[in-house]
Amino acid sequence: MADVHRTVDAVWKLESARIVAGLTRLVHDVGLAEELAQDALVAALEQWPESGVPANPGAWLMTTAKRRAIDHIRRAQRLDRKHEQLARELDTRQQDAPDQSAEPDAEQNDVLRLMFISCHPVLPTEARVALTLRLLGGLTAAEIARAFLTGEQRIVQRMAAAKRTLAEERVPFDLPAGAELAERLSSVLEVIYLIFNEGYSATAGDDLIRPGLCLEALRLGRLLAELAPHEPEVHGLVALMEIQASRSAARTGPSGEPVPLHEQNRGRWDPLLIRRGFTAMLRVRDLGGRPGPYVLQAAIAVCHAQARTAEDTDWRQIATLYEALVRLLPTPIVQLNRAVAVGMAHGPEAGLALVDALTADPTLRDYHLLPSVRGDLLARLGRHDQARVEFDRAAALTRNAAERAFLCRRADELAATTTTAAAAHGSTLGQAAQDFLARDGLDPATARSYRQTLRRLCLALGEQTPLAALTADQVARVFATAWGTAAATTWNRHRSAVRSFTAWAELDVDLAAGLDRRAETRPRAHPIDPAVLDQLFSRVDLPVRERTLWRLLHESAAGVTAVLSLNVEHLDLADRRARTGNTWVTWRSGTAHLLPELLAGRSRGPLFLADRRPAPARMPAGGDLCPDTGRRRLSYERAEYLFKQATKPLDPTGAGYTLRQLKPRD
Amino acid sequence: MRYLMMTKPSATNTAPNENLFEEMGKFIEEMTASGVLLATGGLEPGGMRVTARGGEVTVTDGPFTEAKEAVVGFALVEVRSEEEAIEVTRRFYQIIGDGDGVIQRVFTS
Repeated sequence: MADVHRTVDAVWKLESARIVAGLTRLVHDVGLAEELAQDALVAALEQWPESGVPANPGAWLMTTAKRRAIDHIRRAQRLDRKHEQLARELDTRQQDAPDQSAEPDAEQNDVLRLMFISCHPVLPTEARVALTLRLLGGLTAAEIARAFLTGEQRIVQRMAAAKRTLAEERVPFDLPAGAELAERLSSVLEVIYLIFNEGYSATAGDDLIRPGLCLEALRLGRLLAELAPHEPEVHGLVALMEIQASRSAARTGPSGEPVPLHEQNRGRWDPLLIRRGFTAMLRVRDLGGRPGPYVLQAAIAVCHAQARTAEDTDWRQIATLYEALVRLLPTPIVQLNRAVAVGMAHGPEAGLALVDALTADPTLRDYHLLPSVRGDLLARLGRHDQARVEFDRAAALTRNAAERAFLCRRADELAATTTTAAAAHGSTLGQAAQDFLARDGLDPATARSYRQTLRRLCLALGEQTPLAALTADQVARVFATAWGTAAATTWNRHRSAVRSFTAWAELDVDLAAGLDRRAETRPRAHPIDPAVLDQLFSRVDLPVRERTLWRLLHESAAGVTAVLSLNVEHLDLADRRARTGNTWVTWRSGTAHLLPELLAGRSRGPLFLADRRPAPARMPAGGDLCPDTGRRRLSYERAEYLFKQATKPLDPTGAGYTLRQLKPRD
Repeated sequence: MRYLMMTKPSATNTAPNENLFEEMGKFIEEMTASGVLLATGGLEPGGMRVTARGGEVTVTDGPFTEAKEAVVGFALVEVRSEEEAIEVTRRFYQIIGDGDGVIQRVFTS
């Protein structure tokens, strides 16, 4: 029989959303509301084992938590007269309308408000996810951490930061309206779908599916559909999740390997969930309006669910839906999926044209499904040589062992059907690259650099590509995708690797022909005009810390990092110098004049201190903390920012100068 | 995880009143909204009895188990834990009063 603790946990998970929502309305602070609710939970854990589980445990928790909320407001009342009024209001409200939240409508709206606040755009996405699971699903920090394979401490910190942000930004506990509603709702939908996807296609860990998270997301979606019944996208999301979840059992094979949609045993799809998905889509249809991204994705899922066999799939309809989806959501992944659908509906040639347009997209550079889809289309066109190269590339890119085996098998099958094996053409790119890197007389640093270049070429073009078939255009395209935006030195380094490789392999074509050498800008900083410096140093209105730092950088000509790392105990004020690492930083009268004011009697710790004390969670190493003031060492980023701000008015370009520019010309 | 909850007729055969129907409707609505309740329904008392022997399927009107052993209602719920299933059942019986039932885990795949 289950013990009381587990019963308390079950009750809590069923009730926490309503309790926290109700309390938030009372105390106007979601963080405080959650703490009060936690107190009630602790009380239950203490009392129920003795007294037994009450007849209506949810009501018991709510009453206990509310009592604590009133106690809290009374306590605060002594500190703040404004709260007094609030408590009085609360008392009358409690007497007049014994329990306002007993009205189901008010209660439901509170839960909806809680959902909006947990997914508020001021919070980073990860915090929205954690807060939603915590406040709406009643999960503990440990449970959330386990679901996302991260540490409990990190989840606790993330939620504490989120609650602080909500309080600092004074995010109101209300229902958004008008244009804001659409934006806020899409944030809620995004969070729910994120939770679902983390469960459905676990990006990390051993299991491909984590059913717990799928269930949480489904419940949140179903709940939201009840709270916001007039929003088609909500029902679209619910339909999408129900139908995707219906395939859970069929998605993995006996040894845990993924089974692609068209190979799944459709008899194992859960008809109950499919029907629920269809029902949700009927509600979308009744609401009408232009379909949004979730409705379109759900409609595609419906097409698959309606096909009794993979061959029965209505690919024309799916391709049309993808056309619409790609206009709303033009991400590379959606475009790739559209290419697959178009390839099925209108023939491989049409699909290939769309896929080829994506090969230059840097975000898909290492995405194994791109060459995999391309290989499939090429194979259907009878271009087996090229198809095999693509499957080899896909196999080299995937991180999933089962998937790699599947792709290698496809490549091997194609090799068997073709007579034009690479051997007939002579050496392959992969073999040549290996020989090139293995030859004698290559120093390790160069070899390492060359290996990076050739690895990228092999991944992008395929190890099995015959060396003789390579063109300068292909190489230029790989370079544009991989290093188009990289620094000139990086570009030139890879370019010289290709030149060296071309010369070594004695190729007829110059593979680097399409690669221009890029001009490398000297990273040297231009010193600031002395006249500007005079103006800057004459500004006594600025803080002494900034003035001392700038003077010292200018007079010592030392590195910024070295100067910021100085400690008070390193200073030799009489000789106007300080030791840092193996060098001396020396200064002249300007700095010497300012230093006593900056030190203000300090005898140890970092010379330049930040304005504030660090938060407990971000405590730096002891050496970067002032033992007397508790403040941390001034960071390069902050110092640089302050200098930029201060020098903006002096800089003709308006951008402001960098600290390195304080160093005078040698 | 899914559980199938089955109820048997209550020992003290009190006739259901309006109030109970209303509360029950609210409960079902709430459980559906929170995504817990997937399907529910009442069952015809008795039903038909099916026997398969050596490839021969026989359908008869009896004999039935004792009336108090027959299932009269079911609910299919999707919950996080066994405790949650029990908690939902507890609320059900708070509404309908005395009675007996069975909760069984449904294996999905």
